[in-house]
Amino acid sequence: MSVLAATIFLAALAVIAFEWVHRTKVALVGAGLMVVVGVLDEDHAVEAVDWSTLGLLTGMMILVGLTERTGIFTYLALRVAQVSDGRPLRLVFLLAAITGLLSAFLDNLTAILLIVPITLLLADVLGVSAIPLVLIEVIASNIGGTATLIGDPPNIMIGTHVPELTFLDFIVNLAPVALFTLAVVTTVLYFVFRSRLAIAPEHAAGIARLDPARDLRESRYVKRSVAVLVGTIVVFFLHSALHIEPAVVALAGATVLLLVAADDVEDALERVEWSTIFFFIGLFVMVGGLEERGIVANVADLLGDVTGGSRTAEALTILWGGAAGSALVDNIPFTAAMIPVVDQLAEGREFDDANWWALALGACFGGNATMIAAAANVAATGVLERSGQAISFGRFLAAGLPVTLLSLSIATVYLLFFQL
Amino acid sequence: MPTLRETSLVKVSVEPGATFLDAARALFEARISAIAVVGSEGRVVGLFTDDDLLRGLFPGYLGELRHTAFLHAELDVLTARLGQVADEPVQRHMRPAMAVDIDTSAIHVAERFLHCAWGALAVVQNGAFVGMVEQVRFVEALMRRLSLHSP
Repeated sequence: MSVLAATIFLAALAVIAFEWVHRTKVALVGAGLMVVVGVLDEDHAVEAVDWSTLGLLTGMMILVGLTERTGIFTYLALRVAQVSDGRPLRLVFLLAAITGLLSAFLDNLTAILLIVPITLLLADVLGVSAIPLVLIEVIASNIGGTATLIGDPPNIMIGTHVPELTFLDFIVNLAPVALFTLAVVTTVLYFVFRSRLAIAPEHAAGIARLDPARDLRESRYVKRSVAVLVGTIVVFFLHSALHIEPAVVALAGATVLLLVAADDVEDALERVEWSTIFFFIGLFVMVGGLEERGIVANVADLLGDVTGGSRTAEALTILWGGAAGSALVDNIPFTAAMIPVVDQLAEGREFDDANWWALALGACFGGNATMIAAAANVAATGVLERSGQAISFGRFLAAGLPVTLLSLSIATVYLLFFQL
Repeated sequence: MPTLRETSLVKVSVEPGATFLDAARALFEARISAIAVVGSEGRVVGLFTDDDLLRGLFPGYLGELRHTAFLHAELDVLTARLGQVADEPVQRHMRPAMAVDIDTSAIHVAERFLHCAWGALAVVQNGAFVGMVEQVRFVEALMRRLSLHSP
């Protein structure tokens, strides 16, 4: 039965990696097969679903979706472009910074869906190629999302699974390394793409003519939406002291926003990406099947044997292995599979957060390696394709892989000096 | 007699290889919100609607943007696209075909109209294109049949 469980899971990962069928369908079919063939029964399948992760995702989707209607994020992106004053270096750094910031406090997929269409328009107005800017933004979103518990799906899964890790713990342990990595990577990418980012003075004037505040003036509920979103983020910082789970914070914030800034509840709930929610449900059930049949324990034992029980070797294997797995498959299913492995490794020991930070850094930074490694990459390349500026797998890899190796090197040094 | 047989149809279509500009002209001349793109043996392979015309005339990312009031003045760089798509084949801009058989029930046609945003459907007979039906003409024929409206 364990061979069957492993076969179902690996086959599902392969189909997801090659994008033969939509990933949600694959996850649900995989989950269904796990139950139908008897890898795990229905009760265990339901127990395997991490409802806290789903609650956090759903709450944030509603919060961000309703706030997005106000135009506040478009305003921020346009102001950043205006502040750059037509200077490419300043533009690149400001776009990377705003993308990283939005990714950290909304989530990186949402940040990309908000920022990329505006960037395409800005690139047209500035007369520069959009592709370098979008690539920098995608990479900034994956690095920025690493900084917080809510920034990237792997962190959401880790944060909701490990009660000892608070929102503030993520910031303290991951934000500094994420910020430093973002600065280094953005500098490198700027020099790589510099020749394609020259802005003529007459084009720079086009940006100055835009009126970013106009959408805000025409929107209802701007103040209420921004206040609730900011208030929710503040409560995230305090959730441990207040003894409230992150999922409850997100759902409470979403509920308040529904009460004060949503005229139509049906419309507001359409902001929830149900395909993502069901993708997670399918994944959790599949991973539950692997746990049930002892495969997770076997992988953990193997990892323990390979690293010889060394804490350093263990964390670095998780970091680099997590990045490789995320790059080849997708960092969400890979993290879902790795969480119980890291749990198993910690059995019988005192709580040690180093392996969790290694997994978060590996999965999030590994998300930059290939076009399919993270949901944000898939979304950004999709927008590019629909706007007639498709980017090939190889072209993405040419930028993403070196960036990932550089990021992982920084993360390795960070783990060695500050966590191990 | 099925309602569609009593409805005036507009026989307007282009071939898949026709240019974007040809399709736009056909749309304007027929004064209808969608025309059929018809392939071999009269098979409807797609529809070209006024939405597709609009999307073609503006940058591809327009549909992804939610807020554009900040563009209070025209930007030459954006309107420059208008001339670029003229010679592109219409099949690059069309959407999947939505067709109904000429002998289908009125309620099915009504349901199809309620689920399409552009107010015109392709009508086929034995699988071959016979014309476009506009929502307003269909409703007019329906009401005439019900003696609610005299032409």
